Amino acid sequence: MKMDILSVKDLEKHFGGVKAVDGCSISIEAGTVMGLIGPNGAGKTTMFNLISGFERGIGEIVFKGIRTDNLSPFKIARCGMVRTFQIPRALTKMTVSENLMLAPKTQLGERIWDVWLRPKRVREQEMQIREKSRDILEFFEISHLEDEYAGALSGGQKKLLEMARAMMIDPSMMLLDEPFAGVNPTLARKISRYICELHEDGMTFLVIEHDIPAITKISDRIVVMNEGKVMAEGEPAEIKRRRDVLEVYIGGEG
Amino acid sequence: MIEYVDMLLPYITTILLISSIYAIFSLGLNLEWGFTGLINFGHVAFLAIGAYTTVMFNMSGFSLFVSVIAGIVLSGFFGLLLGIPTLRLREDYLAIVTIGFSEVLRFILLNEQWLTRGPFGIHGFDRPLQDVIPYQYYNTFLLILYLMILVIVYFALERLIRSPWGRVLKSIREDEEVSSALGKNVFWYRLQSLMIGSAIAGLAGAMLAFYISYIDPNTFKPIETFHAWIIIILGGTASNKGTIVGALVFCTFLSVTQFTSRFLPFTAHQMGAFRMIVIGLLLIILMMHKPEGIFGKKEELALSD
Ligand SMILES: Nc1ncnc2c1ncn2[C@@H]1O[C@H](COP(=O)(O)OP(=O)(O)O)[C@@H](O)[C@H]1O
Ligand SMILES: [Mg+2]
Repeated sequence: MKMDILSVKDLEKHFGGVKAVDGCSISIEAGTVMGLIGPNGAGKTTMFNLISGFERGIGEIVFKGIRTDNLSPFKIARCGMVRTFQIPRALTKMTVSENLMLAPKTQLGERIWDVWLRPKRVREQEMQIREKSRDILEFFEISHLEDEYAGALSGGQKKLLEMARAMMIDPSMMLLDEPFAGVNPTLARKISRYICELHEDGMTFLVIEHDIPAITKISDRIVVMNEGKVMAEGEPAEIKRRRDVLEVYIGGEG
Repeated sequence: MIEYVDMLLPYITTILLISSIYAIFSLGLNLEWGFTGLINFGHVAFLAIGAYTTVMFNMSGFSLFVSVIAGIVLSGFFGLLLGIPTLRLREDYLAIVTIGFSEVLRFILLNEQWLTRGPFGIHGFDRPLQDVIPYQYYNTFLLILYLMILVIVYFALERLIRSPWGRVLKSIREDEEVSSALGKNVFWYRLQSLMIGSAIAGLAGAMLAFYISYIDPNTFKPIETFHAWIIIILGGTASNKGTIVGALVFCTFLSVTQFTSRFLPFTAHQMGAFRMIVIGLLLIILMMHKPEGIFGKKEELALSD
């Protein structure tokens, strides 16, 4: 049975005269990887901002059966949707471990009274969270960075940190904004392997990417955006054959 | 020799008393600015609310304990009131609103004489255990009491900022969008920080009132807010230990320069200005050599990038 985890209908967002997103509709089936491609300025990041609540637009967004287009970002995140940013946003003045341990939902120690009155329970939960963070760091092969300040990490390591941190909230869906951009080829291969492994475990992804070969390899379906509109949608093989898609890319790059 | 000791002890007691009050006052601001990144330029208002509420409650017949609690709660409540409209907006709104609030409050305290006795100020309220402690030992008693309060406030804050709650604050200080992308209700955490910081300032206000046993609106001039800022920058932003040391250094400096002013050809007014110049220079030198303050962590320097 097919079930859409996210469906977006007639989404619009204008900045002054610029129609960044201009009537887009997409649906993502649970447990799949959807690639979102398109030339620079096509509106991909704006689409992410709308879906994750960082921008308000017109249109309907339904995530896991809940209307989320009027919710604030933190509520959307609590529904199980987590995003990364195009330019990685590690919390540089905190350690890698703190970055990860920040993320889990419903921590007892986030309530003042529990901090003072139930310190033992808070400590126990902290230990569980630390265990979990170690497992996730191990998965992303950055255990050795655990106690480093995130500010000391390289650009690629920050991308891994962001994905690891996102995993800490047990999301049902991850939005990744250009996970391969500015990353060396070895690391890029690793990142696509991580995505595939998480995909096998049932995670849903929406991945923005510029690099067509890289994205077609990991995606189940691909949406192509251009000038705020969805211009094509289909399986990677179909998309690769579409001449108009290639032309937009060549035009956009040139 | 004995004579000097007799003179020196009360002098040191006074410095430590003032330091402990400033330390608690500044710990409140350090929670707001140091750990949450909130810019509060009207922190003195909460010192005033704490002092006036405590004193007025006591004058109308409530026990000291109840009065102090009322002062703390009301200061926290005003933090909430100022926070609700401002903390969803850009950070400079809080700065503007708090600085305005602290001046408006001072004028209300000056002009609503039926309530506050205006410029005449209030005295004649109770002080803790004043009937039990012999007069000549009273300041020593107060010092012990205040140091105990300081220790309690310090450890309560340390536990908080080392908890997951404190971790959320630090994440907001650095990048609120990341915190919200991870499901944290940024607005609510900021509000809590401002409320607790203000409540702590309220406690300091009550302590100040008991120590000087007389309060008037001019006790609460805007300069007091900036003294707290100087103290936390000096001691190291986002370090509670640093804030306490900063308060001690700052208050010692103030009183030593007051003492030495006899040997300088300045009027009282000129001396005040001269002190500020010296403090400014010292801060500049400190910032050049150790921008994170005495106890701050370089990696967490809130002022960088
Ligand atoms: N905050 C903003 N203010 C004004 N214009 C914006 C803003 N964000 C994006 N845009 C514009 O919207 C269009 C789409 O941008 P974006 O979504 O970042 O594209 P992409 O991620 O596909 O490269 C661009 O023309 C961009 O200049
Ligand atoms: Mg983009």
